[in-house]
Amino acid sequence: MNKIFSVVILLAVLVVSSLTRVPSVSAEEAKMVGEISKITLAADGKSATAILKDTKTGDSVPIEIKDELTLDKLKDKRIVEGDEIRCKFDKQDGKNNSKTFVKTAGC
Amino acid sequence: MLVIRYVAAFLGVVLLVATSQAKEHEGKEYIQENGYKGPETCEECHPGTAKAFLETVHWKHASKVDYVDNLKADQEYGMKNRIYTMCNANDIINNLKEIPANEAGKTKITGCNTCHPGDHTVDVGSTGPEAEQAIDCLICHSGKYDFSKRKPVKRDDGKVVMTQDRSTEAAMNIGRPGIKNCMVCHESAGGGALFKRGFAMTKDADVHAAKGFICVDCHSVKNHRFPTGKDPNNWANDGIYMTCAGCHNDKPHKDEDYNRHTGYVACQTCHIPKTGGAFAKDFTKWVKLDNGFYEPATLNKEVNETAPVYAWYNLTVSNTPHFIGPKGSRSDGKSKIYPFKVYQGKAYFNKLDGQLLGMDFAEPMATGDTLAGVACAADTLGIKKYEPVPGWQTTYFGSNHQVAPKSKALTCANCHAINGLLNFKELGYGDKEIEKLVSPAIYFDKVLKIQQENE
Repeated sequence: MNKIFSVVILLAVLVVSSLTRVPSVSAEEAKMVGEISKITLAADGKSATAILKDTKTGDSVPIEIKDELTLDKLKDKRIVEGDEIRCKFDKQDGKNNSKTFVKTAGC
Repeated sequence: MLVIRYVAAFLGVVLLVATSQAKEHEGKEYIQENGYKGPETCEECHPGTAKAFLETVHWKHASKVDYVDNLKADQEYGMKNRIYTMCNANDIINNLKEIPANEAGKTKITGCNTCHPGDHTVDVGSTGPEAEQAIDCLICHSGKYDFSKRKPVKRDDGKVVMTQDRSTEAAMNIGRPGIKNCMVCHESAGGGALFKRGFAMTKDADVHAAKGFICVDCHSVKNHRFPTGKDPNNWANDGIYMTCAGCHNDKPHKDEDYNRHTGYVACQTCHIPKTGGAFAKDFTKWVKLDNGFYEPATLNKEVNETAPVYAWYNLTVSNTPHFIGPKGSRSDGKSKIYPFKVYQGKAYFNKLDGQLLGMDFAEPMATGDTLAGVACAADTLGIKKYEPVPGWQTTYFGSNHQVAPKSKALTCANCHAINGLLNFKELGYGDKEIEKLVSPAIYFDKVLKIQQENE
């Protein structure tokens, strides 16, 4: 009886864990160089969207930015429309989430 | 007792309010009424400051240097005039200017002295009333500087100048320079973000930044003179020397075993275990970008991706055409083991005297013609006879920022192991000494105890 009870509990745990398992979706990393054609800051200041015109293809690529450092640079205009950017981003769920977003020009 | 607590709390609030009010810039009202006209406005309350600023490294981009070999004692050195292969250019030979049009007909204005707190109407290091009024006080001191207003433009008379944000809005938000005020220039030195020194002053990368420290908390400025260390490759200084011991003292660890190391192992060795950024460049080969301009071929890593090299350093520097790096030894009584970022750059050397030649970036940036850049630079410097041959220069950069959190600092087994980080042989230890140094016998019981306590 005890053995049957243990097996039932084990099976129940397995069923529950399989139902609660979140399917993993791996993000695809991409990179590009492009000129910023538009910057849109969210009203709460916690995110922004920058449209980059890919220097290779000419495509307009929207990049979602959430890291504080880059947002700060957008707010105080250290990065502005017209700047050329080297960007690494993750493609996930139809969005391009910025990982690095830096100007190509140094000194 | 309750009354005493309420009074104490009330006084605490009063003190807090008083303190926060005292932090507001006292000249705010004056600026609001009169507007901001540049340094002359600042000098209403800070007379003489502009003139004094012209004597500092931020303005001169050079200073006398007393710890580097093969320099003249009466000459000043720095970004103004040095040539080495991280940049291969300087304020003089790569002065701010409009470059020739590239293949696509595009041009741009660029130069080393975009990172100078003036307006380029006067040169780096210039003096006099005109220079005093050219200073951009707000780029460092304003918390609301509109950086889009600071850019190189060509005036109608053809002169290239740097515009500044001299708005009342910017001037009414005066305070201590924040990290971003410093990073405007110091982040992108060497040709790209985080290239030169490979460190990021972010919460994730540096423990001081994580605790809310800003640059000037450690580089505690006195009359615009900045304390600095003795980086083998950062020569220009304001004459004030600083070290970690300035805040942390010579015996900062609770563990005496660590404190015993401080006499011969620099703090940075254990506490800055990684570096990053550009590790090699080739100025004899410029690569074409999709925008039609060229840039020097560069090999780069992210911050925290590169292992440092470790060497004895007695705070004096070997300076030759093919090597710039630390001097020191185990036996000189003055050296400690420091970590360094090693960088190697290829550029043109003068076959006639062996010296490194500099480069004006204008032509190479537009067309990729590197020898044209060398010719321009030689012309600017009055070098009539030269024969450019490619060669390499190795440079050791100090690694003094990006202090890792305690959990990531080096511990016993990182160095005292056969496959440890330190090459004891190269550091001058004998075979028998090395046998002991790489044996876990030194720390086995201690580390076992710690391990068991943490399980």
